[in-house]
Amino acid sequence: MKRYIYINDDDLAQDLYCDNRISNRKYTIWNFLPKNLWEQFSRFMNQYFLLIACLQLWSLITPVNPASTWGPLIFIFAVSATKEAWDDYNRYLSDKKANEKEVWVVRKGVKKLIQSQDIHVGNIVWLRENDEVPCDLVLLGTADPLGLCFVETAAIDGETDLKTRVIPSACMGIDLELLHKIKGVIECPIPNKDIRRFDANMRLFPPFLDNDVCPLTIKNTLLQSCYLRNTEWACGVSVYTGNETKLGMSRGIAEPKLTAVDAMIDKLTGAIFVFQIVVVIVLGIAGNVWKNTEAKKQWYVEYPNEGPWYELLVIPLRFELLCSIMIPISIKVSLDLVKSLYAKFIDWDDQMVDLETGTRSNATNTAISEDLGQVEYILTDKTGTLTENKMIFKRCCIRGTFYGNENRDALSDVELLDAISTGSTDVIQFLKVMAICNTVVPIQSKTGAISYKALSQDEEALVRAAASLHMVFVNKNGNVLEINFNGLLLRYEVLDILEFTSDRKRMSVVVKCCLSGKIFLLSKGADEAILPHARTGQQTRTFSEAVEQYAQLGLRTLCLAWRELDYDEYQEWSLMFKEANSILVDREWRVAEVCQRLEQNFEILGVAAIEDRLQDGVPETISTLRKAGINFWMLTGDKQSTAIQIALSCNFISPEPKGQLLLINGKTEDEVCRSLERVLLTMRITNTEPKDVAFVVDGWALEISLKHYRKAFTELAILSRTAICCRVTPSQKAQLVELLKSCDYRTLAIGDGGNDVRMIQQADIGVGISGREGLQAARAADYSIGKFRFLTRLILVHGRYSYNRTAFLSQYSFYKSLLICFIQIFFSFISGVSGTSLFNSVSLMAYNVFYTSIPVLASVLDKDLSEKTVMQHPQILFYCQAGRLLNPSTFAGWFGRSLFHAIIVFVITIHSYAFEKSEMEEVSMVALSGCIWLQAFVVALETNSFTILQHLAVWGNLVAFYVINLIVSAIPSTGMYTIMFRLCRQPLYWTTIILITMAGMGPVLALKYFRYTYRSSKINILQQAERLGGPILSLGNIEPQLRSLEKDLSPLSISQPKNRNPVYEPLLSDSPSATRRSIGPGTPFDYFQSQTRLSSSYLRNSKDN
Amino acid sequence: MNSDTPSSSAGGTGSADTTGARRNSKRPKYSRFTQQELPACKPILTPKWVISAFLLVSVVFIPIGVVSLFASQDVVEIVDRYDSDCIPAGARNNKVGFIQGSQVKTCNRTLRVPKRMKQPIYVYYQLDNFYQNHRRYVKSRSDQQLRSPRNENDTSACKPEENANGMSIVPCGLVAWSLFNDTYNFTHNNQQLAINKRDISWKSDRDRKFGKEVYPKNFQNGTLIGGAHLDPSKPLSEQEDLIVWMRTAALPTFRKLYGKIETDLQAGDVIDVTLENNYNTYSFDGKKKLVLSTTSWLGGKNDFLGIAYLTVGGLCFFLAMVFIIIYLVKPRQLGDPSYLSWNRNPGGH
Repeated sequence: MKRYIYINDDDLAQDLYCDNRISNRKYTIWNFLPKNLWEQFSRFMNQYFLLIACLQLWSLITPVNPASTWGPLIFIFAVSATKEAWDDYNRYLSDKKANEKEVWVVRKGVKKLIQSQDIHVGNIVWLRENDEVPCDLVLLGTADPLGLCFVETAAIDGETDLKTRVIPSACMGIDLELLHKIKGVIECPIPNKDIRRFDANMRLFPPFLDNDVCPLTIKNTLLQSCYLRNTEWACGVSVYTGNETKLGMSRGIAEPKLTAVDAMIDKLTGAIFVFQIVVVIVLGIAGNVWKNTEAKKQWYVEYPNEGPWYELLVIPLRFELLCSIMIPISIKVSLDLVKSLYAKFIDWDDQMVDLETGTRSNATNTAISEDLGQVEYILTDKTGTLTENKMIFKRCCIRGTFYGNENRDALSDVELLDAISTGSTDVIQFLKVMAICNTVVPIQSKTGAISYKALSQDEEALVRAAASLHMVFVNKNGNVLEINFNGLLLRYEVLDILEFTSDRKRMSVVVKCCLSGKIFLLSKGADEAILPHARTGQQTRTFSEAVEQYAQLGLRTLCLAWRELDYDEYQEWSLMFKEANSILVDREWRVAEVCQRLEQNFEILGVAAIEDRLQDGVPETISTLRKAGINFWMLTGDKQSTAIQIALSCNFISPEPKGQLLLINGKTEDEVCRSLERVLLTMRITNTEPKDVAFVVDGWALEISLKHYRKAFTELAILSRTAICCRVTPSQKAQLVELLKSCDYRTLAIGDGGNDVRMIQQADIGVGISGREGLQAARAADYSIGKFRFLTRLILVHGRYSYNRTAFLSQYSFYKSLLICFIQIFFSFISGVSGTSLFNSVSLMAYNVFYTSIPVLASVLDKDLSEKTVMQHPQILFYCQAGRLLNPSTFAGWFGRSLFHAIIVFVITIHSYAFEKSEMEEVSMVALSGCIWLQAFVVALETNSFTILQHLAVWGNLVAFYVINLIVSAIPSTGMYTIMFRLCRQPLYWTTIILITMAGMGPVLALKYFRYTYRSSKINILQQAERLGGPILSLGNIEPQLRSLEKDLSPLSISQPKNRNPVYEPLLSDSPSATRRSIGPGTPFDYFQSQTRLSSSYLRNSKDN
Repeated sequence: MNSDTPSSSAGGTGSADTTGARRNSKRPKYSRFTQQELPACKPILTPKWVISAFLLVSVVFIPIGVVSLFASQDVVEIVDRYDSDCIPAGARNNKVGFIQGSQVKTCNRTLRVPKRMKQPIYVYYQLDNFYQNHRRYVKSRSDQQLRSPRNENDTSACKPEENANGMSIVPCGLVAWSLFNDTYNFTHNNQQLAINKRDISWKSDRDRKFGKEVYPKNFQNGTLIGGAHLDPSKPLSEQEDLIVWMRTAALPTFRKLYGKIETDLQAGDVIDVTLENNYNTYSFDGKKKLVLSTTSWLGGKNDFLGIAYLTVGGLCFFLAMVFIIIYLVKPRQLGDPSYLSWNRNPGGH
């Protein structure tokens, strides 16, 4: 399938394809009601409630007024629908913001400012520097005379270096004025999500060009959400718009996420449902038997001898309705309410505000806060997430002399400054390479300050460093560079640039010194790309040691080298280079080969070490969350070496003696398989040791592993606490998330760029960093935060509290429903198993949605431990991760409690209100009061910290119960008329209530006290320590023992593999740990070749080193 | 609740104290809520508090239990089951046939007063195994109809006793239809013992629930006669037996007020009861009892509450003792860090 786009043809473009309206909305105004209802009814609980509500319309079987179910049901649906509508409205607003952004578009030959959503396929869009690209464009013209422009594609692939884009050859040289009127046709594929491929043709119509078809590639495109950089203006014709852009296509529809807690609640609901069915069947049979034996004798009931055909069903159905309250209808509303409050707490949190930008954290998805407390795996992006994406020159090693140490940077190292001032040749040459060997453009502002525009952050860092070391790159005048060294102006003419590719891992420039006319080759690159090509005789050992040393420190290293070229040699090579640059087939490979010829016999100058600064608090965050038992995986599009360096510097992996890195690599299935097996074996062995073992896998090996050795890889994933996956594509990131999810792990994906969007959407929890790479990730994410370090607070504070609160709230909801339901069941035994409801409709409804819901809502403020304690003892998160507060056994406790309380209430009520006092309404109200009192005390007992609001809710609710019932009792038409007044005057009532309360709470309190003191959980111990000022909190820095925690708890942990090999065996001899630096096996060139041959589509366009 | 010394910890995390101060000064006060930093009292269950709570409960409950037990003991109650004795010996094989027959069903009983009974002495009839709370029964009434003559035909809820002879029954429904119809006459020393049958029902029922203009109509005219007939000339609000009967009981054993004797009875007094044994409880093996009872501040004779209070109080005392013993025998430092597994063997690996 193809689509044909007529450039600049207003008539043809309009209707054929969608306009540029971006829509992340789920509903429209028209389909909202049906779609939302359909969605709500796809949940089991809602179907159940609807069925109950419908059954209640049959007056023969309904024990209570149908309004008591319909009312809450409609209310619940209204609340859910409102929430959905609100969420969708917010999505609409953010879409609208993007859609209404104004862009310059050519309409009828005139440049007009229109809203982004009105762009049609075929329109010509004009962009200025730093503009966001509104839709997928094919470049037509740029400010650059050579037709180049620079884009930042971070939002799409997460790479922050600038990429060059070039206008199609057919458009070369078209005059600026004529660009408005350009006409032509583009034949391109139908929209797809492949961001690396765009195979299309363009033909311009006369008078613009001959009829030649001009091929288009991805290099000629500007994709949606990229930013135009370092280019004054650019224009292009839109080819894909709206949700059909490459980014839009890969966005995918976010599946609604269900938290583990929700799943557990559903499971428990299912169990209760089964229990209910059993109760209904038993009571139904008992009821029918009783009816046929006893009730037929009871003349006053006047059972007809012949009943209708459905007679046998009537009693079971009545019990079904009577027991329907067993599943609390209020739980959904309560949960929705508290969940949105959790989300609000995240939004409001002042400690999660990025002070630099003032960005607040934001919970887009308000429904999954509990999951934050149950995270087991964090999958993190690297660039921009862990790092700040700001490079700083830190140290260097020039000819064996190390500059810069722990205390100061190389820039302020006196020795280096001395060396410069004394004019050490090596140092000056080193600085020259730093200043010249790049593609940086210096821009002198009016005040004289020079700013640099760089394609890569590394280059910028080098040039800046050189400038502060008196080697100032002043001006670029065409091909002539001007360098100011201590007031001396040096001029160099750039003859050729041998561009960086991620496979060559180096870049070079050929310059001619304008003073001497000598020609030099200046190179910089990764050590493995430079050092092997040193001139014969030069010792490179010091340099490799320097590289090694810097890498240990987590710095990015670049080797700098130079060589003087003979004029003839250059001329000869130059021809070859030009030729290689113009061939059509396999050009990249050919160019690389030609470059290789020149880039040898280097005179190695030294090693520069650059720091990609980690964000504040990243190592601390990672180690804290590690202590909390969370495993980290780093998924990055970056190279292996960089990834490992960063991983080292942010505590992700431990340095050599303590940690161990296992590499999985290989180009073919066999190699990968062997590598995988070996790593797996090592992993199994080392698991018994207290060693931090991490595996490293690159994208290619990952693809093979996932495809052919999924089982082995899954085992590896389970075994390893840490992993580094480099050079992975967005979809691989998502696959990895999927893999971990399939092993029943709770995953959290955190990233900042568009390349993380799929992983973020795939993960149980997606966290976006609203950082420098735009808002793509933040928009798709469930939570957006300003800095990586806020993750600690998000998980340990918000996640943990949310989980605890929901665990209590949900179980409590079942408790109170079961309590009243058990009483109804017991009552049915003394009412001839006929399905009479002890409680009247009003009370039942109010009990469920009001009396018992308000106090428990206050539990959103409950804190079992203070934030400080949790931060000091992140291990306590284990209780949430393992789901220790909400599981079948804790639920069984609540079930037992409600049964016990029901017995207490029922027995005491019917005995103290016996004989002449056994009036129905009174007995019912006494039992209800008993329930209300008990539940108030249960809430109070389970509350860990009372704020004024909780007191208000719990005790105020008790007062409200009486006020409301007194009011209702004052209305003559109700069945409850005068009942409450009557009761409140009876001493018997109050003595009964006190008895119920004490008899119900005494054993509960005793049991709780016993467990709290003598079978304390870790939470209890910390609570005691916190409240009593015990010694725990003063123990400042106990080195936490992750392993011991794991050992202690492993029998209960669901996530830890149980069968560890206890036998210690020596590590396999060929364990890659010994040669951690041997990343690219063989020479870089081999690496390059083999990979190009294997998969050209897999090549990444990284200029980063 | 057993609370520790309420430590008003605001939970301010240490690291952000300075920013916290600044924040609080410039932000409105409710931010303590948004920051989840409302001052909170955080009680924990310390042995001291729990043990004293249990002791307190037992100290309070045991006297209350004793007092209520005494109150219950003070109540004098005479219970006389007459349902089987009031069937003539010849009819014992066919009790149902007897009760449904048209024989004279007068029966004489003798009650002996065991202790002095102060007036008012309440006369109840007690039915056992009578399910006034049966769903079919309890629903079969029309409160609208009882309240106002306008709703006379509002009988849809009254099935199966809504119509007779094509006309609505007032009062309709099974409850009214099955009105208890045994009657009692008391003589003491050959003197009629007056029974006050006024004000035996709830005033609120007479005023609001049973209309002054609603008269019984077409009642007990059906093919099946249930219980008592009603005087068609008296409005429902004055038919107190009906009003009492229609306050349905929640339990299958219940007593309903028949009347009040407003003279004191002395110990050893003999009361002769002449009763009309009309009501059929024989078909479902129900018991009928005549009860004379005085009352206390807690109501009638009911030992349950006293015993329950004593039990709970005793249990609390027992628990308090057990906890004291455990506390003394096996003291345990609260919040001991050595119980935290991750603090064990800090030497580690």
